Amino acid sequence: MMRMPLIRRKPFAGSCLIAVLVLGALSAPAAELDAIVARGELVWAADQEGGGPHVFLDSDAPGRLTGFEVELAGLLAAELGVKARFQQGQWDRLPLLLGRSVDCVINGIELLPERRRDYACSRPYFAYGLQLVARRGGPLDSFERLSTPGPGGQWRVGVLTGSAAEVFLRSRHDLAVDVIGYDGTIDSLEQVQTGVLDAALMDDCIFNFYADRFAALRAVGRPFGGGYYTVLTARETPKLSAAIDAALGRLVADGRLKALYDRWDLAGRQQILALRDATEIPVAERRTLSQLVATTLPLLLSSAGMTVLLACLSFPLAIVAGLGVAVGRLHGPAWLRPPLTAYVEVVRGTPLMLQLYAIFFLLPKVGLALPAVVAAVAGLALNYSAYESEIYRAGLKAVPTGQFEAALALGMTKWQALRHVIVPQAVRLVMPPVTNDFIALFKDTSVCSVITVIELTKRYSVLALSTGRIVELAVVTAILYLAMSWPLSLLSRRFESRQEPRA
Amino acid sequence: MITVTGLGKIRGGAPVLADVSLWVAEGEVIAVVGPSGGGKSTLLRCLNGLDTFDAGTISIAGHSLAAGPHSPRLLEQVRRDTGMVFQQFNLFANLSALDNVALAPRVVAGLAADDARRRAHTLLDRVGLASFAAARPATLSGGQQQRVAIARALAMEPKVILFDEPTSALDPAMSAEVLDVILDLARGGQTMVVVTHDHAFARRAATQVVELVAGRITRFGPPLSILAG
Repeated sequence: MMRMPLIRRKPFAGSCLIAVLVLGALSAPAAELDAIVARGELVWAADQEGGGPHVFLDSDAPGRLTGFEVELAGLLAAELGVKARFQQGQWDRLPLLLGRSVDCVINGIELLPERRRDYACSRPYFAYGLQLVARRGGPLDSFERLSTPGPGGQWRVGVLTGSAAEVFLRSRHDLAVDVIGYDGTIDSLEQVQTGVLDAALMDDCIFNFYADRFAALRAVGRPFGGGYYTVLTARETPKLSAAIDAALGRLVADGRLKALYDRWDLAGRQQILALRDATEIPVAERRTLSQLVATTLPLLLSSAGMTVLLACLSFPLAIVAGLGVAVGRLHGPAWLRPPLTAYVEVVRGTPLMLQLYAIFFLLPKVGLALPAVVAAVAGLALNYSAYESEIYRAGLKAVPTGQFEAALALGMTKWQALRHVIVPQAVRLVMPPVTNDFIALFKDTSVCSVITVIELTKRYSVLALSTGRIVELAVVTAILYLAMSWPLSLLSRRFESRQEPRA
Repeated sequence: MITVTGLGKIRGGAPVLADVSLWVAEGEVIAVVGPSGGGKSTLLRCLNGLDTFDAGTISIAGHSLAAGPHSPRLLEQVRRDTGMVFQQFNLFANLSALDNVALAPRVVAGLAADDARRRAHTLLDRVGLASFAAARPATLSGGQQQRVAIARALAMEPKVILFDEPTSALDPAMSAEVLDVILDLARGGQTMVVVTHDHAFARRAATQVVELVAGRITRFGPPLSILAG
């Protein structure tokens, strides 16, 4: 249960950097135990989008939050003599909320060396194993089967991005596996069901919880590996951390934690393993800046390559489609104009993220399963074609009618006049706004991380969390974006200055 | 070459052209004169179908146009045989002078690119602009642009050329260079209809003069009988 993107709705790493700096400057000091008691509330953070059995919306009573961690938070708050108050946050950004609006994070946060370095980690309250999940009757019948290629070549296995499952799979170079990172566990289960993926690897408790919903899927082999969940608190609040540790100890000792797990049907070895101590996980070392750059820059650069690829493949498509739509709306047959207008309005009026999601997750349900990069290029091209068509429409209208008449007077057809005279002039007129849109698209490629594409922003998020060097890497990432978009800005300015006065 | 019979056109409830009839024989140069707003340009634009009309018929270069909308195919045929030169030149701003002239022969008449360019070179030479082949329209003077526009019209070897106030946007010196080209064409036997305010030019170049006032033909005859000295 780990997700990494730091920035999902913020398209540009630069704006994220500013947000980080501003937040840092404005943040109040972390609330210590006495302040929490005085306030009467323990604010705990989780992501309800993360799903069951941790924290999710009750399907019987929409709007009501439920899950074993919701109950755990209630128990811990009661131990401190206060009430629990839930704070929604994006899963991978939850630790960043500590010491700001949030006292602790309880949301399947894995006890990892990096976490122990950056935050105060409580004793484990839950232990999980990793479970491989595949379609019933499919060729994948054991984990060992992954060591040789399947019928379709490399096995395609979905994981939650940044999760222990991903870390584990990526470290196993001996396996014939294509690891694909998802933002949600349920997403990867969906994709196994539709056949886009061969399998998914996740915390066992998650698949146990959703097994009924995905009846076509089955657990392959027993859970293996795994680790512990921990309650995160800020390092600046040692009294709070100690109080939560002590409270957990009491819940373990008097059996209330076990009762909770029994109620949630989280049986077996978890409770036993949960009795262990946080300190058996080593603390990760902090790397120097030069080590950091040396290890992360190659990764950031290769992800910048993905950003360039997405932008450079999708924008020409958007331009061609947009031009076609604009010409069709202005000069096409009457019956074609209402559907084209509707196309522009619908595509402009819905978020890019939703469109990407529909192409990648919904199209496979009707039999069209596109690889992530193809879906990303298609989504970006679709989205931007609507904007480009409006620019071209304005450009086409700005070409004087005398140009059109002169072409017609020579005996050209409407389409010849458009092709040889009108469109070339419109293209030249719209160069500056189109270049501007290309820069915007460049940054919008970051949204593609929702459909498992790892581009620059996504890579930054993952690296920032795994290294704990959020600000330093934000600067490097922002510089990379600038290095890519600055030449485009210069190009745009050149087009603008080259606009000739018309005769 | 051109027969116009009972031509009528109504715009916004008011007649722009009413019962206009005229005849143009091959090799004739017709000057259309009259006050502004008299329907001269509208008449010219009806001849190649840039405007439609509401009554009468037009026969031009072997094609017949009837009242109401025309089929695209018919219009293409009419326009292949009739060149047009505009008051504002309307050179294609995206193309060089040479390509302005060579475009239609290539895409409309289907000439090979080399042949089209050769023809364009010859025509630019004929209007005295051979050295401006590579120039963009925006870099040419008004008189030069209008001469390129004439070369562009000639490139389709039209049976008739329609001129819509070809010198109205030009100062006297530039007018003179354009008028010289038109006079040269007249001597060569090119059939032309020229809408103009320039009576001196009409006297020199025209074989017939038509005067349009408020959409009606008020006079039609040889220049000397219509245009007082």
